Amino acid sequence: MGELLIVLLYFGGPIILLAVAFFAGNSIAKKHNKRMEDRQQVVAHIRYTDLKRYIHPHTGSPPPELLCAEVTLGIDHFRGFLGKLKNIFGGEVISYQKTLDRARREAILQIIELAHAAGMNAVANLRVEFVDISGNANRTKKASMVTILAYGTGYCSKQDAQDPIAV
Amino acid sequence: MIVVNTETLPGYEIVQSLGIVQGNVVRAKHMGRDIAASFKNIVGGELKGYTELLTEARRDASARMIAQAGELGADAVINVRFSTSAITQGAAELYVYGTAVKLSSSGSAQPKAAVEGIPPPLPVS
Repeated sequence: MGELLIVLLYFGGPIILLAVAFFAGNSIAKKHNKRMEDRQQVVAHIRYTDLKRYIHPHTGSPPPELLCAEVTLGIDHFRGFLGKLKNIFGGEVISYQKTLDRARREAILQIIELAHAAGMNAVANLRVEFVDISGNANRTKKASMVTILAYGTGYCSKQDAQDPIAV
Repeated sequence: MIVVNTETLPGYEIVQSLGIVQGNVVRAKHMGRDIAASFKNIVGGELKGYTELLTEARRDASARMIAQAGELGADAVINVRFSTSAITQGAAELYVYGTAVKLSSSGSAQPKAAVEGIPPPLPVS
């Protein structure tokens, strides 16, 4: 009985923490994905490319402008734990990959929304960069997170994203 | 000042290149933010403190770059690039650089806040 209590005390805390992280992390990620899908509908007409040139720009319109967005997402305790486990055997670390995907998608969506808010319907030369603000490179950090910086040039195009173009 | 990360500007003609303009900032958040972020990190989700850190750094660096371009009498900064480096834990260096150019007078640029939160520079006489 006493031994059981010790085992519970020893492993109980971390397991509860993992469980909380698993459920809360999953629900946060799901809600975020759902929210992004809804937001995407509103700005579906905006064309965004990573081409350096403008596609059918409106010359009489307001000048193009630089749009920037940054997003920092935490990798929850459970996914971090999974990632570390996976690291022992090697292979694809899906838990990190999904968080990165979500952060990039959010950043790009923010850029598109900025363009929409400025009355533009296209974004050219969209760049997405990973920023290391946690000092992960030095391996001195415990908490892991991903930070994405996205930027592009918003402009007015004569055609919406639904219209086919000759590139 | 028009700021873009493309090489051309529709409706404008680039008449003179004034060279590279740049701005950099190293910023850190106070420890309280770091601790709050580490708690938030248990369940994941957006760490707003660090997002803010980067937004502020980006604004400051852009403002410095635009001020430099203003001193040169540029109409626009083109081909802007962002570059970051991890100096130390919890701090971010943001370096922004671009090419300051003069545009043809036919398409003279309307001063406008190209970067949100930064007032447009005074027109250069």
